Amino acid sequence: MKGERLGEFEEFTLLAVRALGDNTYAVPIQQYVEKVTARPISIGSIYGALARLEQKGFLRSTMSEAVAERGGKSKRVYTVTPGGFRTARDLHQVRERIWNAIGSDERLMGHASRRAEGGRS
Amino acid sequence: MTRLPRVARWLLRLSPVPRETRAEVEADLGELFAERRSERGGAHAHWRLYRDLASLWRHPGPLVPPASHESTVQFQRGGPFALLRDARADLSYASRLFARQPAILILTIVGLSLGLGISTAAFSIMNAAALRGEGLVDPDRAPGVLRVTDRSVSTAWTYEEFLQLREGSTRMQIEAALIDGAPVGTAPDAAPPPSVDVAFVSRGFFAATGARMALGRPLQAADEQQVGPPPVVVSFVFWTSRLNRDPHVIGRTIRIGRTEATIVGVAERGFSAPNNRLLWIPLPAYGAVYNSRASAGPVTRLPHVVVQIFGRLPPNVALAEAEAQLSGVTAALAGSATSVDSAVRVRLDPHAGLGRASQSETLAIAVFVFAVIGLVLLLACANVATVLISTAISREREMGVRAALGASRGRIVRQLVTESLALGAIAAAVGLMLAAWAIPMMGVMIEAPEGADLAPDLNVFWFLGIVTLVTGVGAGLAPAWHGRGVDLVTPLKGDGARPNQVAPRRLRSMLVMTQAAASVLLIIMATLFVRAAFRTATINVGFDAAGLYAVSSGLGDDAKPFWARAISELQSVPGIAGVTLVELTPFSGVTKSSITSDAPARVVAFNRTRAEYFDAIGLRVLAGRTFTPGETGAKAPVAVVSQSLARAYWHEQSPLGQMLPSEIPLIPGSTRPVIIGVVSDAITARLEERSGFAVYEPLDPASEKFAQLLIRVAPGAIGAINQASQRLRAIDPRADIRITSVAAALHQQAGRPRMLAILSGIVGLIAIVLCVIGLYGLTASVVGQRTREMGVRVAMGAAPRDLLRLLMWDSLRPVVIGLAAGAGAALLVGRVVGASVFFGVSPQDPMAFVGAAVILLAAATLAVLVPTRRAAAADAALVLRGL
Repeated sequence: MKGERLGEFEEFTLLAVRALGDNTYAVPIQQYVEKVTARPISIGSIYGALARLEQKGFLRSTMSEAVAERGGKSKRVYTVTPGGFRTARDLHQVRERIWNAIGSDERLMGHASRRAEGGRS
Repeated sequence: MTRLPRVARWLLRLSPVPRETRAEVEADLGELFAERRSERGGAHAHWRLYRDLASLWRHPGPLVPPASHESTVQFQRGGPFALLRDARADLSYASRLFARQPAILILTIVGLSLGLGISTAAFSIMNAAALRGEGLVDPDRAPGVLRVTDRSVSTAWTYEEFLQLREGSTRMQIEAALIDGAPVGTAPDAAPPPSVDVAFVSRGFFAATGARMALGRPLQAADEQQVGPPPVVVSFVFWTSRLNRDPHVIGRTIRIGRTEATIVGVAERGFSAPNNRLLWIPLPAYGAVYNSRASAGPVTRLPHVVVQIFGRLPPNVALAEAEAQLSGVTAALAGSATSVDSAVRVRLDPHAGLGRASQSETLAIAVFVFAVIGLVLLLACANVATVLISTAISREREMGVRAALGASRGRIVRQLVTESLALGAIAAAVGLMLAAWAIPMMGVMIEAPEGADLAPDLNVFWFLGIVTLVTGVGAGLAPAWHGRGVDLVTPLKGDGARPNQVAPRRLRSMLVMTQAAASVLLIIMATLFVRAAFRTATINVGFDAAGLYAVSSGLGDDAKPFWARAISELQSVPGIAGVTLVELTPFSGVTKSSITSDAPARVVAFNRTRAEYFDAIGLRVLAGRTFTPGETGAKAPVAVVSQSLARAYWHEQSPLGQMLPSEIPLIPGSTRPVIIGVVSDAITARLEERSGFAVYEPLDPASEKFAQLLIRVAPGAIGAINQASQRLRAIDPRADIRITSVAAALHQQAGRPRMLAILSGIVGLIAIVLCVIGLYGLTASVVGQRTREMGVRVAMGAAPRDLLRLLMWDSLRPVVIGLAAGAGAALLVGRVVGASVFFGVSPQDPMAFVGAAVILLAAATLAVLVPTRRAAAADAALVLRGL
């Protein structure tokens, strides 16, 4: 159990719900995640992630009205909770900090290699 | 909304998705499926759909109902899913177990898949030949109409009689069919098109048979009056094999014989009445197909055409009632000029309906095939059970631990059955591949007709499924049965006294016995067929088939002037040593024979020839003379008989001037001929009858249209037959000249026992392999368990040779008993089927029995010797110290 933290796939799913403008359901979420990650995503893994996110309180779900296109079947629609969005943003910031650090390292490494080339010439 | 495929819905119901949310998941899946299909096509959509379904298993916590989070885990506790979860655990355990013992796994799967594959292949052939039938709806209400006179019962009626019966029948629908071969071309440029068996049918044929169409429409009443190209309905097999499943085939024109025909329908898969037909065309088109002159309009009178009649009884009419009414019609017929016989009655026989005759013919083969299927399956099952019991014994300790930890009896049995079912499933998959490869080969071996649809259908998959299930459960239950009343303590204490030893050994001995019996039966049959093959290969037919060619003209009524010109033309072709007209050319597949009424009953072949025939085929005139031109012209009542016939009835005396003996029945109404000559024996009809009894009568000019030309080409005259073919085609461009080699026909006939020998040889070989695998496995495990005992014996002073003898005899005893049982069964089978199946080789042939016994004993000794030697060489000290 990852407790109150987010796994990579859960993060994708959470952000997809937000990106799709809340009140969205499993099918568009699956399609969205599949498109952005460019890898085949099974519907089962989406269900799993949605259930876990809801359990952790990052998502809230309600049953929608029955829709004619779905043969009169209602669907469960998801909305990102403020807590969920905050956690995702925090995670993003942590990542950004790390990337920034990596970025400066890379710049240093770039200098070093250039110097090495200069020394050889 | 898109509905999911049925399989998918069914799988969804099996999945761990809770019932409350299943509808929602189904809607989601349906939406994804529809979108993927429109974007990437059906195949992709299906592939992703089943992946998604599988994913529901891997992520078993979907769609939390908001109120209680507890229910996410509900399915994991108890309920119907417990069984599934247990099965999953059992399967993963089984896979680990098998991974540790790959040899046992491979042995079992090889054995089982061989058994399943062979039996599936045999079953599909039999399914196509006998079980599936020809697609006739309710065949018991579609009786054959038999023509009964004082002298004969036959299925053949003239077309005129049929028309009158149809008009006169008030109680039932009367329809007719006629089968004949005609060259059928599907492409305009196809060189000489192959000949196809065509059914010429009356207008209500499709209504009476109840055939349904895959495409287009059936033949209807209006089609009988059609002017111009006749309509034709093609079978599913023809549509698949010759028309590439063209969906726009309706309206296409194909060439049948001498006419063009328009395709109006494709029959549903499985409909092939009568006798695996590929094409159906209206009866009045008969003239158009065989005779170009008649193609101008529909023919209503076909004087020489003989048809088979069947009927369809309405639900409220009894068979006897319809029979009486029809007999009334034929009684009126008798007075008119159309019927030659005095009194024709009608008999309705449901067993003589369309395609029923072929069924009874295949029944003998079916019984044989089923016996073989049963034997091979029995072997495979016994084999798997043997292997599983061996492992079960070595797993006694494991079972003890499980039981001690609280596993119920049922739980342990379930695990064993799951294991063997898993093995069975893998073997079934391999077996199916094996069957797919073996079916076409077996089809060729049994000479399946062109129209037969051998591809496995639902029946075959059901068969495979059920057999796999039964085998799996049976093979799993055998060790479970053996393990009943397991003593928990002894196995846990480690090796020691084994009180529970007698029962399993008896069970396993019985399994080995069964295997040995089945193998020996199969090997005996294989040996008999091999001997039959040798015998037919060395048969002396009495003439030289090489250089003999049969020619048919396909001209029908116009054949007579054609033959006259052909003979004079061919006589001038260099390299052609003889030309003659004969009614039946050797091994053409058509025979005319009668069976003598004395004992022993013998088959007498009848033929009508010209005098030149004997010279052309190469029969020596031993006494008297052959026909004079005057006799052939006047259809004189004279006959030439074969040497063996003359010897059988007149012994050393001369038969010349005598009447043909009354023991030989003649065609009703013909005069008994006087014998004018005796010629040497020849077998020209069927090889397996091996009868040299023959009666030759003169071929009169009126019958020449039914005759064929027989050409003898001088040895070394290459190209003579090509030249002859060109000359013949030049005589009449309408002629459909077909030249076949008599030697090739003979070769094909001789090939049949060879094919059967190969087939039963393969099955016999598989049987031996299975038996040896089982025996080896059994001996190895038994000997392994007796190592301690051997150690004790050695310590007490037993020599290795004594041990070897003891172990060998213990292992071989069930084989010897099985061998005797199998040989007894083979004797019984031989008595039932008789010598004709084995082409004259006696089913009690001692060679076959001794051969089979030697082969099996040798194989069994080898299988037993290897593990036994190892055990007999055991070091007593090491064994007793428990090392």
